[in-house]
Amino acid sequence: MIRRLAATTLTCMALTAPAAMADVVLADVAELSGAGAAAGAVWHDGVKMAVEEINASGGILGEMIDLKEYDSQTDPQNSRAMVQKAIDEGAYVLLGTVYSSSTVVNMLVAQQNGVPQLTGSESPTITAKGNPYIFRTAFGAQKGLPKLVSYLKDGLGAEKIAVVWANTEFGKGGYDAFMSIADEQGLEIVADVSTEQGQVDFAADVTKVKGSGADAVFVYLTEEESARFLIEAEKQGLELPLGGDTVLVSQKVIDLAGGAADGAFGHVGLSAEAPVPAIQEMAARFQEIYGYSADHNAIKGYIGVYVVKYVTEQIGEFDREKFAETLHGLCLSAADYPGVLMDVCWDETGEMSRESFLVEVVDGSQEITESLPAN
Amino acid sequence: MTTKMVRILFPLAALALLVLIPLGQGNYIIYVMTSWLMFSIAAMGLNLTLGYAGQISLAQASFMGIGAYITALLTLAGYHWVVGWVAAMGACFGIGLLLGYPALRVQHHFLAFVTLAFNTLVFLVLRNEEWLTGGNHGLVGMPRPSFFGISTGKNLEFYYFVLILFVISAAVFYWIVNSPWGRAFKALRENPVRAESLGVDTRRITLLAFAIGSAFGGGAGAIMSPLVQFIEPGSFALVHSLKILLMVVVGGAGLFYGPMLGAAVVILLPEFLRFTEGYYLMIYAALVIVLMVYSPTGLIGLGTKLWQQIRPQSEVRKDMSKGAQL
Repeated sequence: MIRRLAATTLTCMALTAPAAMADVVLADVAELSGAGAAAGAVWHDGVKMAVEEINASGGILGEMIDLKEYDSQTDPQNSRAMVQKAIDEGAYVLLGTVYSSSTVVNMLVAQQNGVPQLTGSESPTITAKGNPYIFRTAFGAQKGLPKLVSYLKDGLGAEKIAVVWANTEFGKGGYDAFMSIADEQGLEIVADVSTEQGQVDFAADVTKVKGSGADAVFVYLTEEESARFLIEAEKQGLELPLGGDTVLVSQKVIDLAGGAADGAFGHVGLSAEAPVPAIQEMAARFQEIYGYSADHNAIKGYIGVYVVKYVTEQIGEFDREKFAETLHGLCLSAADYPGVLMDVCWDETGEMSRESFLVEVVDGSQEITESLPAN
Repeated sequence: MTTKMVRILFPLAALALLVLIPLGQGNYIIYVMTSWLMFSIAAMGLNLTLGYAGQISLAQASFMGIGAYITALLTLAGYHWVVGWVAAMGACFGIGLLLGYPALRVQHHFLAFVTLAFNTLVFLVLRNEEWLTGGNHGLVGMPRPSFFGISTGKNLEFYYFVLILFVISAAVFYWIVNSPWGRAFKALRENPVRAESLGVDTRRITLLAFAIGSAFGGGAGAIMSPLVQFIEPGSFALVHSLKILLMVVVGGAGLFYGPMLGAAVVILLPEFLRFTEGYYLMIYAALVIVLMVYSPTGLIGLGTKLWQQIRPQSEVRKDMSKGAQL
């Protein structure tokens, strides 16, 4: 009896062990709750979708992806703990976090442990710290903002600008980058309005902008705050052009702000409305599976997983060190690597470049007004 | 077993457990446990203010912040961590005295408002004084200290280092609450008028409790710098003061082991409730409300209450319970 039991146990172990070993663990550390859930949850769905597609087509180097999710609760310290947990649980590559204030903390842990990390954060500081394991899935604000500033100046003929920004790690990075470019271009800043994360009432801020005599407004806030600002601006009848970065014209903000988002424009690295068939197909599948529209965060997460697949297949093994080495200076073309959706390159700091778009919100959806080349 | 033996054996057994538990565990568990020890020290300080002296302070996180930034700036400037630690506790003690002196003229919920304002003020200073604190970008890369050639760089080594600090803090705390000061604190909480009539200088004693409590906060902050190796103003916002307050209240204010248990619950419970996904904050909130209604003295109070009900008791003669009425 005991012998038979032992034999059965052994057989079971022999059968299950290789299957368990053959999975490659990818960890997604994202803002699934808290103030950043509007961004993190969408990113996570993008990641999930790519993982399912890759698993359905045979995985990476013949191994299935075991996706583990970790909720940072939009708390930088918690995100650090979660990245530690993900690494303890054998993550091959980390995906996330989206909020820059979390990424600057947890990327240190990934660096100490030598685990490559693909982040959705856009704060300029992330790739400026010399961390060899951090890679972006969307370029930093410092690359996108010069394009927006020249549009404000030459496209709209604006000279006086009001700046509304979130006083957080994310907002400060974009604010500093915008101010230095605006200074170079000779734009005059007539109102400088800093706001808090999770701020609900933007009445005073809009009033200040209204009375500043600005020609245009630069809005650099996270998703929910952007929507609240747009709603308040409409309520107070603010007639100025409202321009921003990816977030201001993102699908999430349009959904939250409704009609108030119409007329807002921005420089966008990734958009479901981009005139790129691969992105539109991906967005349509996303809509079908999750029942809501994909935005830049979903596309970032989606691309991130495919980058893991392509780079790993290039090096031919699951080696974190080689992964990071290979990704530095790598270019992937959408023709050969359809999962990246658009041609993309990374430099030595993990910063990336890609074609981008100028977008305007018309009748509750994004409309591409111009395509800008990669820089 | 006598109560005295339990009093000696329990801490020793608990300490042995704390030494043994992290062995063989992953870095994540060790990190969470280190974080728990750190918050226990901060909660101990607040327990002195709230549980023993009966004053509500909503500024414990700001004292942690002050301690963390002082330690970070000093260690980044090349000084040893111990210098930062002493400076952090000293500064928090001093600031506690300065803040407490006018603030304690107003007591109880008014003090809560004053400390709330102070916490917001500290947050804004940390965020806006960029030349010193790094503003939103915070300070990064604080080294972990080494002592006589022994490094605390690895997570397990750092855990034991924090455990030693925790034991020192707990010993100091135990000594304070059992000293004449501690008895004066308790007298003050129970009946300030009577305490004063017995010759206790209430103003001085309350101020002292507040300042010592603040210094504990500074000490915990000094640990946070090398633990997280990144600090930013958001980590010391009001919500974190409320978190520490919750630790003290949930564990059992005014009880020695209360804040330690409370910190464990506040830090570890979200982990246990993770399987409930989006509902865990609701469940957590409901548990706290039920606990406060049923047992205002926190979890330890709840435990004592239950123990009193189930332990064998000598039956009191029914006629005796009526006493003089018969």
